[in-house]
Amino acid sequence: MSTRELTYVKAFNEGMHQIMAEDPDVFLIGEDVAGYGGVFHMFDGLLDTYGQKRVKDTPIAEQAIIGLGVGAAARGLRPVCDLMFMDFIGVAMDQIFNQAAKMKYMFGGAVSVPLTITTAGGAGMSAAAQHSQSLEAWLAHIPGLKVALPATPYDAKGLIVGAIRDDNPTIVVLQKKMLGVKGPVPEELYAIPFGEAHVAREGTDTTIVAIARMVPEALKAAEMLASDGISVEVIDPRTVQPLDTDTIVASVKKTNRALIVHEAVEFGGIGAEISSQIQEEAFDYLDAPVARLAAPFAPVPYAPILENAYVPDAARIEQAVRRLLERK
Amino acid sequence: MAIEIRLPKLGLTMEEGTVDEWLLEDGAVVTAGMPLLRLATDKIDVDVEAESDGILHRAVGDGATLEPGAILGWLLAEGEATPAGTAPAAPAPAAAQEDVAIITTVRGDDDIEVASADGRVFISPNARRVAADLGVDLSTVRGSGPGGRIISEDVEEAAAAAPQHTGPAKVASPLARRDAREAGIDPSTISTSSGYVSRGDVKAAAAATPRETAAAAVSSTVVVAPGSVKQETASIVPMKGMRGTIAARMQQSLTEMAQLTHGFEVRMDAVVALRAEMKEQYIALGVPVPSLNDFVVRAAALALRQHPILNATIQDKEIHLLSRIHMGLAVAVPGGLMVPVIPDADRLSLPDLAAATRDVAERCRNGSIGLDELEGGTFAVTSLGTYGVDMFTPVINPGNVGILGVGRLRDSGTWEGDDWVRTQVLTLSLTFDHRAVDGAPAAEYLQTIAELLARPLVLVS
Amino acid sequence: MTAPTDTEVLPATREVVLDLHRRMVRIRRFEESSGKLVETGEMPGFLHLYVGQEAVAAGMGSVLTDDDQITSTHRGHGHAIAKGAELRPMFAELYGKTTGYCKGRGGSMHIVDMNRGMLGANAIVGGGIPIAIGAAFASQYRDDGTVAVSFFGDGATNIGAFHESVNMAAVWDLPVIFVVENNGYAEFTPQEKHMKLTDIAERAASYGIPGVIVDGMDALAMRQVSLEAVERAKRGEGPTLIEAKTYRFFDHQGIKGMRIPYRDPAEVEAWKSRDAIRLIETIGVERGLVTAEDFAEIWAEVEAEINDGIEFARNSPDPDPADILDDVYTV
Repeated sequence: MSTRELTYVKAFNEGMHQIMAEDPDVFLIGEDVAGYGGVFHMFDGLLDTYGQKRVKDTPIAEQAIIGLGVGAAARGLRPVCDLMFMDFIGVAMDQIFNQAAKMKYMFGGAVSVPLTITTAGGAGMSAAAQHSQSLEAWLAHIPGLKVALPATPYDAKGLIVGAIRDDNPTIVVLQKKMLGVKGPVPEELYAIPFGEAHVAREGTDTTIVAIARMVPEALKAAEMLASDGISVEVIDPRTVQPLDTDTIVASVKKTNRALIVHEAVEFGGIGAEISSQIQEEAFDYLDAPVARLAAPFAPVPYAPILENAYVPDAARIEQAVRRLLERK
Repeated sequence: MAIEIRLPKLGLTMEEGTVDEWLLEDGAVVTAGMPLLRLATDKIDVDVEAESDGILHRAVGDGATLEPGAILGWLLAEGEATPAGTAPAAPAPAAAQEDVAIITTVRGDDDIEVASADGRVFISPNARRVAADLGVDLSTVRGSGPGGRIISEDVEEAAAAAPQHTGPAKVASPLARRDAREAGIDPSTISTSSGYVSRGDVKAAAAATPRETAAAAVSSTVVVAPGSVKQETASIVPMKGMRGTIAARMQQSLTEMAQLTHGFEVRMDAVVALRAEMKEQYIALGVPVPSLNDFVVRAAALALRQHPILNATIQDKEIHLLSRIHMGLAVAVPGGLMVPVIPDADRLSLPDLAAATRDVAERCRNGSIGLDELEGGTFAVTSLGTYGVDMFTPVINPGNVGILGVGRLRDSGTWEGDDWVRTQVLTLSLTFDHRAVDGAPAAEYLQTIAELLARPLVLVS
Repeated sequence: MTAPTDTEVLPATREVVLDLHRRMVRIRRFEESSGKLVETGEMPGFLHLYVGQEAVAAGMGSVLTDDDQITSTHRGHGHAIAKGAELRPMFAELYGKTTGYCKGRGGSMHIVDMNRGMLGANAIVGGGIPIAIGAAFASQYRDDGTVAVSFFGDGATNIGAFHESVNMAAVWDLPVIFVVENNGYAEFTPQEKHMKLTDIAERAASYGIPGVIVDGMDALAMRQVSLEAVERAKRGEGPTLIEAKTYRFFDHQGIKGMRIPYRDPAEVEAWKSRDAIRLIETIGVERGLVTAEDFAEIWAEVEAEINDGIEFARNSPDPDPADILDDVYTV
C-alpha cells in the first residue's frame, strides 16, 4: 500500500477505523463521539460503520466514562474512552490514577487494564485556562499509566493504534492546534510502540527535545539556525511515559548541549525530568547546563496576544538555542 | 494606520546601523515594548522595541545596513496592507527618530555570574572529560562559553594548537635546555624532584639514555620558507608549560582586544632626589630602599583610584569597573615571564609595596610563588628600563584593560624659563584596550601619574 | 420502591440455609482472627472489619456465579469470602506474603480473585461503582448472561461517581446491581448528618430505576431481593438499587480503636441482638431445616480452615524487594 498526505485528525480517524475493524473488542464511548463524531471530528464515521453497540454517546459524566472503561478493560475488552479536552481529566482523575493505573500492581498482576483514553490538549486557540492545558507531566508521574503525544499525522495514527493494542492504560493526547496539519501517512494499519523516540532531525551542535506541538516549532527553529551553520538535532520522545531516555542521552552525548521545549508550564514539567535524566546519564558530556523553554507558571490566558506570549514558538526556540551555544 | 519602524539615530555621529537580527517573525503579533530587532552600530548594539501594538511587517531583512531614519518595517492593524510605494530606505528628518522606537536594552549577557573569586576554573563537564582524554592542561585554556566557562571546543582548539603536549610542564634553565638539545633530550621528559630541570638533571638523563634513542628523539623538520629556499629546523622549542601559557595568553590578548599604546615622558627628578634622601635613612633602619620602579608602581596604583576605567574588566560586552586595585608586576624568569599580583596595591605604603615587590619577584625566580598569587590582577606594570628600553608596547594581560610599561631612566633637558636645565626622565608606555578606554582618558591617567611623580612626597606619605 | 421482603415467603431450603450460614461464619471467623492478629502486631496494616454485615454479602453472594463480577470496598473481606474466595491466599495477602491474592502488593483493602469474579476491593470510597458498570457493560457487549454487582456504603452514595454511574447504567440498561450497605455511619458521621434521606433506596427514583429496601441482618431476605435484581438485570431491564439496612459491630477500623464514643452503646447492643448468624441459626432450627449440630459442624470446619489459612500464611515466603517493579505494567 502507499503513503499519501493526510491531516493529523484524518490520520487519527483512519487509525480508529482500522483498529476497530481489526479487533471486535475495541469500542468507543464519550461525550458526542457517536452522533457528532467528536467535537474535533476525530471519530467521524465510526458510528455508521461500527454501530451503536461499539460507538456510544455518554452522559456528561467523566468519572463514569473512565470507570466504565476500567471495568470493561479488566474484563478483557479494549475500551477507548474520550475526554474531549485534556482539562477534563481532572474530573475523572480518581478513575485514571487510583483505579486504571494501579489495578495491575495492587492486585498482584491479576488484572490488566487495556484502556485507552483519548483527549485533546494544548493552547493556541484562545480556549482559555480550562480548555488549553498540557498536563502530560501529571500523568507521566503515575506508575501504571502510559502517555503519548503525537506530533505528526503519522504518529497520530500509529500511536492511537499502538495505544489500543497496548495492554496497559494509555492516554493519547492529540494537539488541538495540529488537527489540520498534513503529513505522509501510510494507508495500511500500523502501530508505533510506546517508548521509542523519533529523531525528527539530525544535527551536531545541540539537541532539542520537543514535546507535542513544539516538535514542528523546533524543526522550524532548526531550519532558521541551519542558515547560520548551526546544526540542531530535534528529538520527539512521542511518549513521555515510557520515556526513551536512551535516544535522548545518545543525542546529547553527541551534541553536548540540550534544550527541552514544551508548552506545559516549566515548573515541574516533563522537561525537569528529562533534564535530570540527561545530567544523570550524560553529565560528563555537557558543555552547558541543560536548558528548558516552556510556559510561564500561570494558567493559559485567553487573549491571543497573551497566549502567544505564553506558548513557546520557533523564534523563541531559536533564541534559546543561540543562548545555549553562545561563545565569547 | 501603519506605524513605521525606523532605524533610530543613537548618537550625533551615527551614520548607519545594521539589522543584526529580527527578533520576531514577519506577521508576529506585537505589543508595545516588545523587542523587534537587534540593531548593530559601530559603537553599540541595541534592541529596538515596538512603539505600539500591531502586526509586524518587515521591510528589510537581517544584515541590512541603512542610514538613520530608514524604514525597517511597519506595525500594521489586522488586515491592513503596507503603505503603497514606500521605499524602505527613505531617510527621514533626523529629529523624527526619538518617537519611533524606544531604546532600552544595551545588549549583554546578564544572567551568568562571571567571577571566580575563589580561583575556581569554570568548565563544563564535557570540557573536563575531553581535557582529560586529550591530556590538555586546563590552565592553558581560555573559556569562550557563557561567563567565560571553558567548553569542549576550547579544549579541542587548545589541543590542536599544542598537539605534542603529553605531560606536565617542566621549567628548565637556558643552559640546561642547551645541554638537553645537544644531548637530544626533550627537557620535559626529564624526571626531577623539583619540577625545575637543572644541567645536572640533563647530564644524568643523558647518561641514562641510549644514544640512538636520544638522537631519534630530535627529528629535523624540513619546512619550505618563503622564496622556496630550503630551511631546516635546528631545534624545536615546544610551546607548552609556561611558554604555552604565555603564547596562549598573549595571543588571546592581542586577538581579543583593541590595544594601542601611548608613550608619555615623565620627569623623575623629584623622585630621584627624594630617593637619594631616603636611601640613607632606610639603610640605617634596615628597610629595603624603594626602587624607582616602586615609585612608579605606587603612582600607577594611586592614579587608578582617580581613573577607575583603567581598573576594569570586560565581560560579555559590559565593562565591569572593579572596586579593588590588584597590581600585576611582570617578572622575567628563566624561560619566560610571570606576573605575580600584589593585592590592594594602592593601600600599601611605599616601603610595604617595595617589600612586597621584592618578595614576589624573588619567589617567582625561585619557583615558590603560589598559583593563586598569579591570579586576580586588575592592572599591571612591566619594566624594561634596566634593559635599556625607553618605549615599548606592553601586551595587556587577558582580563585587564591596561598595562603600564616603564622605560629607562635617562638624562634629558628642558627649558625652565630661559634656562635650559638638565632633567631626568623616563618614558611610560601605557597600553590600553580601546574597547573600554579611549585615548584621552588614557592620557589623563598618565598625566595623573606624572603629577604624582612630580610631587613624590605624596607617594611616601 | 418495593416494600421489605417478607421472609416467610422464602423457599428456605436446608441447602440454602447451610450455604448462607457457612458464608457468614467464614467471614466472621476470618475477620475476628485477623483483627486479633493485627492487634498483636503479627499482621501489618489495619483492617476495616465487616462483622455484623455478613448477611448482605452472603445473601448476594449466594445467587451469583463465578462468572458474575463484583466490586467491593475498603471493608471488603466479606464480599470476597461471600463470592467464594479461599482463606489461604486471603490470610497470606494480609500477612503480605507472595502467596497472597495480590502477592503482598495489595493487602486488606485490595483483595482480588479474578477466577471467582471478585474484581477487586477498592480503598477509594465509591471508586468501585464506575468499574462495576464497566464490568456490566462487558456483560452486555458480549451478551454472556452475566451481571455485575457493586457493594458500597451509605457514605458512597454522596459522591459524584455514584450518581454518574447509576445514571449511565440506567440510561444503557446495564446488567448491574448497586448494593448500598447502610450501616448508619460514613466512617464516624451518622447518616442524619450526611444526608436528608432516611431511605437511600429513594435515590433510585431519580435515575428511573427500582430501589429496594431489605433487612441487611437477614441473609434469606437479602438472598431474595438479590435474586430478583439479578434476574431483572439478566432480562435486560437494567439496574436495581438495593438498600440493605445493616450495622457494623466493630469500629470503623480495627476491633477496638474506638477513640470517640460516636455510637450509643445501647444502639450497638440492639443491633447485636439481631446478629445475622444467630438469626439464620434460629430460623434453620425453628423450621426444622437444620439441626444445631449441623451448624456446630460448620463452625468447627471453618475453625480448621482458619487455622490452616493462618498456618499457610505464616509459612509462606516474603516478597523479594528485587521484584518491586513487577506488574507495574503488563509487558
